[in-house]
Amino acid sequence: MPKNSDQNEQFPTQSGNAEGTPGASGLNRRSLLTGGMAAVGGAAILSQVNGPARAASGDPIPIGAALPLSGFAAADGVEFRQGLELAADEINALGGILGRPLELHYEDTGDMGADNVSQAMQRLVDLENVHAIINGYNVGTSMIEMDVAADNDVILTHFNTFISHNTKFLEDPERYYGCFQGDPPEYWYGPGFLLFLQNLEKSGAWQRPNNKLAIIPSANEYSIVIANAMRDQASEFGFEISLFETVPFPNSQWGPVLAKLREDPPAAVAITHFLPQDLAQFMVQFTSQPTQSLIYMQYGPSLPAFRDIGGENVNGVLYSTVIGALPDDFGKPYERRYKERFGENSAHNTASQTYEGLWHYSLAAAIAGGTGEPFDKEQNKKVAAAMNGLIYRGVNGATRFDPEGQSAFCYPTQIGDPSLGMPHQFLQHQDYRVQARLIAPDLYKTHDFVAPPWMK
Amino acid sequence: MSPETLAQIVLTGLTVGAMYALATIGLSLIWGSLGMLNMAHGVLLTIGGYSAYAAVSVAGLPWPMGIVAALLFGALIGLLLYLGVVRWMVGTANFETNIIIASFGVAIALENSILQIFGGQPFGQPLVMRGAVDVGLVSIPYQNIIIVVGSAGLMLVASYVMQQTRLGRAIRAVSQQRDAAGLMGVPVQRIFLIVLVFSGMLSAISGVMLTSSTQLAPALGQDPMIKAFIMCVVAGLGHIGGAVAMAFALAMVEAASQFWLGARWGFPVLLTLVILVLIVRPAGLFGRVSITRL
Repeated sequence: MPKNSDQNEQFPTQSGNAEGTPGASGLNRRSLLTGGMAAVGGAAILSQVNGPARAASGDPIPIGAALPLSGFAAADGVEFRQGLELAADEINALGGILGRPLELHYEDTGDMGADNVSQAMQRLVDLENVHAIINGYNVGTSMIEMDVAADNDVILTHFNTFISHNTKFLEDPERYYGCFQGDPPEYWYGPGFLLFLQNLEKSGAWQRPNNKLAIIPSANEYSIVIANAMRDQASEFGFEISLFETVPFPNSQWGPVLAKLREDPPAAVAITHFLPQDLAQFMVQFTSQPTQSLIYMQYGPSLPAFRDIGGENVNGVLYSTVIGALPDDFGKPYERRYKERFGENSAHNTASQTYEGLWHYSLAAAIAGGTGEPFDKEQNKKVAAAMNGLIYRGVNGATRFDPEGQSAFCYPTQIGDPSLGMPHQFLQHQDYRVQARLIAPDLYKTHDFVAPPWMK
Repeated sequence: MSPETLAQIVLTGLTVGAMYALATIGLSLIWGSLGMLNMAHGVLLTIGGYSAYAAVSVAGLPWPMGIVAALLFGALIGLLLYLGVVRWMVGTANFETNIIIASFGVAIALENSILQIFGGQPFGQPLVMRGAVDVGLVSIPYQNIIIVVGSAGLMLVASYVMQQTRLGRAIRAVSQQRDAAGLMGVPVQRIFLIVLVFSGMLSAISGVMLTSSTQLAPALGQDPMIKAFIMCVVAGLGHIGGAVAMAFALAMVEAASQFWLGARWGFPVLLTLVILVLIVRPAGLFGRVSITRL
């Protein structure tokens, strides 16, 4: 893995090879457009492509974001906004996009849903004339974001993490040419988890006491797609589903579910519900009378609220994420910069999504010769082509878009080459006072799996 | 079904029932006595939780001051709600309808203020008692015992004030016939003020207990508000004890349904029961039908 010099403590600036001198790769826009576009660290590429335009003194480029800044997902919405702010400041410090600084505009999507999100995005286009929209996630939208982007010919990057993005894109790739999902679809959580369990057994770190697997989704698309993917492939990994129980969203009282688990204890429990406070409550209620089961959860344990609410009860919990800052030479300096600016309790992993989204778009736009205004299909198609061609190594690992859906590839479940896919990271809370530790994939892991404290 | 499972279902029903009851008391008081459906009730729960957090975790005060802070802020919001909104609307046409919209606006403003001040990330309430006691087949967290006892205690306080004090008599007089009470010398505006302040304090302290068993988040009051609304309607307006009893009974049914039918069926079953009750007894289980003579 590349190592950073003191200079690139500020931004990840390396390019080309691990020993490369920052900014010395002789890159220019023509070489990137004509050759293979593998970008390791955005700052060096942007510096080179910007050339003498380092002052960012041209007309600002409006960039929009439709984020849940109020309502139940406001915590994540605020982090998404902060991720964009950090990225925009860094990009502008390097000359923006070909000398034009980025100017961010936000619209609140509140409790989300198709009506709120589509109206918010349309306002960004109508009022601010944004050239691109970089969203975090919005739920309950039926991917209407893609229609707004297509109708207005603007580039859209979002992190909804939905397989329905791929499905919709494939219905009409020409119409949705500018729509990108910056992370792998949620579907990959399912087979990824089963593969993780298989590898854990092979390593000898865990032995299943039986072949039972309990799956607990909540009533939302994200949770159910993941749960279905797990259920459908469980038998291929030697598991039988002993419990498939859908809980309401949100859900903080787990008594009836726990009663069922205790009646028929499984080898592993996979909870695909994702709100951190609810998952912490599960652990508080579970640890009073635990079963000899591995506990795996979705997304929520990556947020500080999970440890804060659950306390020592969360020790031993496994979770995974298909997108998150890696604890490596790229991710750690980013984490430090983010927390210095927004506070120790800020969630840099959430913000890394929009941070990465804006960096990727900016690089691609610079390579394509500039951004395109709404309805400038010709230029925006060039930007989209550059985004598809650019293999970008950022704080979350490698981003390369799958042509069968224009979502990021997932490593290792979908693609075996780590330089071409965003790593599906498995983490374990081993000490609730510190962040969770990365235990898989092997290539990136910093710690080994340890048996949870409730397992004898 | 094993005895352990049955015990767990009963325990879940009691705990959830206590949480519903905590959410219900303040709303029942103000709705039943003043005919005012206070849509800002949920955010009063939130303010109670955050006030205790601010006093203990931010200001570093000892934990009893967390409860004092919740009471003070609950009273303050009740006071401001009266001075800023209710005072100007009492006695106007369509008060009962208009106050729903007005208090809903207040709720949105307060919730977003909390979001701006404390941020959107959920976090834990510092006033929490960790640990559990083994009782026969189940392990009962101390926190659950506190909220069950606390909800019963708050209900007794509210009922005592309403039934045994001069203030309660005045509130009931305003509740029965506002104009007549005014003509008899009951200061109607002051009664509204007192009930709003008292209800604010009850709700805030309920919020402390509620969040000690869940978490702090700007939108935390929304779900309890819906549940409280249901409990008040099914019990019958103005019957605090009935609302609390319904909270426990319906929570028990919900927990049993979640176990036997599946977790997602708990709330639909609860709503079905409510509809059935209202068909048979439109004024609620404990409510009295009022007859207006022409």
